[in-house]
Amino acid sequence: MARQDLTRDLDAALAFESAGVRMPRRRRRRGDGRRQRLRRIAGEVRRDEVWRLRDATFSVAEGESVAIVGGKGSGREALLRLAAGTLVPDEGSVRRRLGVVPMIDVARSLVRGYTVRQNIYLVGGLLGMTPDDAGRQIESIAAFAGVESILDKYLGAAPPLVRQRLAWSITMATGSRAFAIEQTLIVGDRDFRQRCWTRVDEMRDDGVTFLLASDSPKQFRRFCDRAILLDNGHVVAQTSVPEALSMLRESRRRSSEPEPDDPDSTTDL
Amino acid sequence: MLVLRDLQKQYTKFRLGYLWTLLEPLGMSIVLWFVFSVLLGARALGLQPYLLFLSLAILPWWWFTKGVAASTRVFRRAGGQLRISLLPTELWVLRVLLVSMVEFLLSLPVVLIAMLVTGTWPGPLILLFPVAIVLQFLLMYGLSLLISAGSVVIPDLARIVRIVLRALFYLSPVLYSISNIPQQLQGVAALNPLVGVLGLYRIGFWPEEIESAAGYGISLALCLVILVVGIIVFRRIEPRILKEA
Repeated sequence: MARQDLTRDLDAALAFESAGVRMPRRRRRRGDGRRQRLRRIAGEVRRDEVWRLRDATFSVAEGESVAIVGGKGSGREALLRLAAGTLVPDEGSVRRRLGVVPMIDVARSLVRGYTVRQNIYLVGGLLGMTPDDAGRQIESIAAFAGVESILDKYLGAAPPLVRQRLAWSITMATGSRAFAIEQTLIVGDRDFRQRCWTRVDEMRDDGVTFLLASDSPKQFRRFCDRAILLDNGHVVAQTSVPEALSMLRESRRRSSEPEPDDPDSTTDL
Repeated sequence: MLVLRDLQKQYTKFRLGYLWTLLEPLGMSIVLWFVFSVLLGARALGLQPYLLFLSLAILPWWWFTKGVAASTRVFRRAGGQLRISLLPTELWVLRVLLVSMVEFLLSLPVVLIAMLVTGTWPGPLILLFPVAIVLQFLLMYGLSLLISAGSVVIPDLARIVRIVLRALFYLSPVLYSISNIPQQLQGVAALNPLVGVLGLYRIGFWPEEIESAAGYGISLALCLVILVVGIIVFRRIEPRILKEA
């Protein structure tokens, strides 16, 4: 089944309609697993799942850059993955007119045992490029990431920074009209970041749609037109970026803990 | 598609050891042949020449076990890739299946060796050999879909599958022929889809085995049923799989 069923006649680039998704709680593996299972059999715990996102309704117009503001565990990743279709909502619906490319820890999907070239084919393919596409763009991707010299070397030894640059370059080369980006819009050293900004700004001018979830207020202010504020899986507000940021700060101050959510979710984001 | 490329890459790792794909089943056939034919002198078991008889079933059997066993791990191995993948989830399953199939195809010269050693040549029904491959592919695809999806929901499934596979080895006509089974039980045996598949591999050499055609029919139909069930179940569990990624 294709991940992204496109709705051609949708008037927005992306539309969530009271969408929600339950995710299995990240269990501390091993440990009390057996007891948990026993309890589940006994019917005490029905299923170890929590709502990561619930009743989310909003839409994103083409060419908009939207900030997804919220602390850890607020459901940012769930939202982005729903947007890209790598998660299926348990309730409600997510419709999209554009193919949305997920940029969620892409560097993790690079395979150490493959050469850089093979990785471009692999990850590019995951993100929806055809082998022909990838082959045609391989030079420019490598050039942008600055990895021409190691194109046919194994990736294993490459430092994390190089992996990130490569992941970034591949993602942007998909030529998609919409991106769902988690955390790292801009990566690498200063010089590379500069080139990223230039590229991203060009794309925005070109009318490419962005969903950005990050911890960096700076990136939000620099980059986004408006914001969606998430708290504990609920869309709390849709406002301007500065306002959402101050609301987030406010809610953090109110709750005594700096991280207002359950500790299990940290790995999730 | 990209999966094929991916497959090639996986395979380059093993290519150094290509000889092993030949030696492993060959050695296995010889050991079993030695034990059953020479040591035990069990003439009644299977058909002659026994070496050829064995190798014809052991290769597909290995493909079967490797593919099915691998399918229990598919999604754990895919890890983060599923989170960003815009490709259909089934491709992950298909990929491990294809890898094991390539290994199977590459190990086929073993049959040739067995033919040379025993000096036996197949009749026209050998044309059913590719049919057997296709059927086994379909059967395994269905099973792999079921098992890969199932092992996401029930993590213990991997262990269970391993035990079942071992039992299935003896329940399937690998070491023996279907005609070794008592008449009354042959109907029951036909419920094992492997009976039909393995039978088709051998039919080119022992055309007289075709008598049990009705039995083949049943197990072949079962292959298709499993395939359909596999596809349906996989569709239903797919959201769960994505969540676990």
